[in-house]
Amino acid sequence: MPHSPPPTSPPPLAGVRVIDFTWIVAGPTCTRLLADFGAEVIRVENQQTLDSIRFGRPHPNGFDPPDSSGMFNWLNRNKRSITLNARHPDGLDLLKRLITVSDVLVENYSSRVLESWGLGYEQQRAIREDLIYVSLCGFGHSGPQRDYGTWGPTAQALSGLTAMSGFAGEEPAGWGYSYLDHMAGFTAAAAIAAALHHRRRSGEGQHIDLSQVESGMVLTGPATLDFTVNGRRYAETGNPPGNRSVWPRAAPHNTYPTVGGDNWIMITCTTDAHWAELCSLSNHPDWRDDPRFATLPARLRHEDELDDLLAVWTSAQDGRALMLRLQEAGIPAGIVQNGVDLVERDPQLKHREWTARRNHEVIGEHETDGLPVRLSRTPAHRDQPGPRLGEANEYVYGELLGLDPEQITELMISGALG
Amino acid sequence: MSAPPAEATPLDGLRVLDLSDPFGQYAGKLLANLGADVIKIEPPEGDAGRRIGPFLDDLPGPERSLFWWYYNADKRSLALDIAGDDGLDLFLQLAAEADIVLETAQPTADRPFDPLLLADACPRLIVLSLTPFGQDGPWADWAWSDAVALALGGPMGSCGYDNLEGAPPIRPTEHHAGHIAAYYAVFGAIAALYEREVSGLGQHIDASVHEACAFTIESSAPWALYERHPLLRQTGRHAGPQPTEPWQYPTADGRLINIFGMPRSEAAWLRLVQLIQRDGLGAELSDPQLLDGRNRQLGLKQETALRMLDQLAEFIAANAAEEIYHGAQQAGAAWSIIRTPDEAAEDPHWTERGFFIEVEHLEHGRTATYPGAPYILSRTPWRQQRRAPLLGEHTVELLKDELGLDPEQIAALAAAGIVA
Repeated sequence: MPHSPPPTSPPPLAGVRVIDFTWIVAGPTCTRLLADFGAEVIRVENQQTLDSIRFGRPHPNGFDPPDSSGMFNWLNRNKRSITLNARHPDGLDLLKRLITVSDVLVENYSSRVLESWGLGYEQQRAIREDLIYVSLCGFGHSGPQRDYGTWGPTAQALSGLTAMSGFAGEEPAGWGYSYLDHMAGFTAAAAIAAALHHRRRSGEGQHIDLSQVESGMVLTGPATLDFTVNGRRYAETGNPPGNRSVWPRAAPHNTYPTVGGDNWIMITCTTDAHWAELCSLSNHPDWRDDPRFATLPARLRHEDELDDLLAVWTSAQDGRALMLRLQEAGIPAGIVQNGVDLVERDPQLKHREWTARRNHEVIGEHETDGLPVRLSRTPAHRDQPGPRLGEANEYVYGELLGLDPEQITELMISGALG
Repeated sequence: MSAPPAEATPLDGLRVLDLSDPFGQYAGKLLANLGADVIKIEPPEGDAGRRIGPFLDDLPGPERSLFWWYYNADKRSLALDIAGDDGLDLFLQLAAEADIVLETAQPTADRPFDPLLLADACPRLIVLSLTPFGQDGPWADWAWSDAVALALGGPMGSCGYDNLEGAPPIRPTEHHAGHIAAYYAVFGAIAALYEREVSGLGQHIDASVHEACAFTIESSAPWALYERHPLLRQTGRHAGPQPTEPWQYPTADGRLINIFGMPRSEAAWLRLVQLIQRDGLGAELSDPQLLDGRNRQLGLKQETALRMLDQLAEFIAANAAEEIYHGAQQAGAAWSIIRTPDEAAEDPHWTERGFFIEVEHLEHGRTATYPGAPYILSRTPWRQQRRAPLLGEHTVELLKDELGLDPEQIAALAAAGIVA
């Protein structure tokens, strides 16, 4: 290794404390990144309104919430958990004290929840001036639809992303998962890193107002400009095009069936050279010599015939073997992998040690996934499983806030600890 | 540690050299919009991104790519050929003074430089390598495209149709593998900058598009990790371990409403029922069984929920999309209209928030409306000060101001085809 890190360099966000009022997927995705990068993330939970992901499937070792969900464990590794009821006066007081010793507060509630506790940004700022407050909701903290709600699919539909997936003339295929829960979470994490950097240089905190729908609309730049500049509406021109190319134009560019049922390979000949290589490795000089396929414009005009021919050729072949042959010839091709393929049959991820075994008190031995961004000197970590509900009460209320065990017990009995 | 001026940006005073291929250019844009001085280094014949459409008035040309406009806004352009030694040497001089080098070259023998060695040579520099498969492994030098990355990485396998016989998995359009990877890369790079403020040290960052896509697939990840259970893809809704009920329903005006985000509280449910029954529809929604949220729960194909969906579908089919959307949201249901991006741009909510921005393109005699900030930072606002650079627009000023070259030297480099 040319770059040899000192073995003890802590992750880059070590020393940052985050109060985590997030739930479901978007917020926890954000705080997972922060935690993997070394921040101390304290999930604040209320037993009366628990994160429904604590009940989410799968439950690898049997259904025994609140600590048995694999989904929860996956989204919340490396975090701590305390219980607290912010609507109880003593709970709110504890929360304010926690703010005094924290750097970031993240929440993904509806847009007026923290205000209703008397904890809008101005009040937070009065408690700790340099706090970074992140609100992540559907429509942001301003505008006429501020009080509307979103889930991932809602935001995907409203941003345009759902309509950009599928076959023209059919209903959209959309997204088979809450893509914008991931992306809003990543967007928030990037903004927090930037705000932390600013704070380290200036001492200033700030409010980051994030709208989940906007986090999707920024991903439609060229299509939106095609409308605002050229006046072209997305659906006018045969969009969405299934798996064919939009920009840059390319053909063949599609999924083709391979043996074994629902198995598919994506082949994208992005240059004429790729196409020539494909004709040669498939023993089809007739394709190469066919004027319908001689140039990219010609192939685009005859894409139906081209795709039909290729599908006949691929459908008798093993997808993985075909992918290797195509890649050996330098043609961009890849099989469609599902989650199980990724953990069991992906040699690249295996080589890069994508999964690692960890233990969890309730779930038991399990695998955790990797981090796609590897810092040579201050690497992220994936050491701790998701927290059991309230497991850090003693640490946070005792060690951080200096309460003695009797006080903690009293607060527990009074209901302040949710 | 001097305080940045008021209205500072988070990355004020930081310089990024952006060598990225088109798929990595979103990462450079995110850094530029956070205030970094991002210099897009492109070959003298122009970056490949300039050849990606759509194009202004549908006429291709290096200054007419809307892809280039969007993903390279706020950057400067240095047209410099770093494939040869002279150009590479100029790049290395700039790198020695830069804060971040963003590069996307796959780890093959013919890449212009080794990013790990560059990081070693420049101790304060953060070298961000954003590559299709990372710096090592059996696929590290594989050919790829965004669609191939979405296939191999998992997102595509979750998306598609369950009501079209033999339909393949579908990859959503618009370069999402690049988008996903850009956020990871930028988060890593800014975290490294944050750390550098204390340690004074840079580092190398190895970011992999394949890994960024892998497990940006929500519940497919835990089902794979814990149960080795692949999920079924389904039309316009989440893939799942079992088939579930449809979420997309046609309206009277030929659009689609997504009903995911049903009310959870009884009060919101009753408001939604009231809305539906206003015009005499949905009588069966008064079934007291439906007051119990468990009987409304989707995903189980339970009889109460199926009957409810029939009634909702009838209501949706009888009304216009905008009315349904606002009515349902005001009742407390997070329903949505499925909009194309142009339709999304017409919702006044985003105008009110200042989301869309006007960008001047003087050389074309016009302005253009762009999607704006992905985040509103109260103290250090996201900004976009200028349109994407013309090819080589800043070459001379950079060679002169940053590298101290005189006009004769610059002319010689241009004559040799090293700069443009």
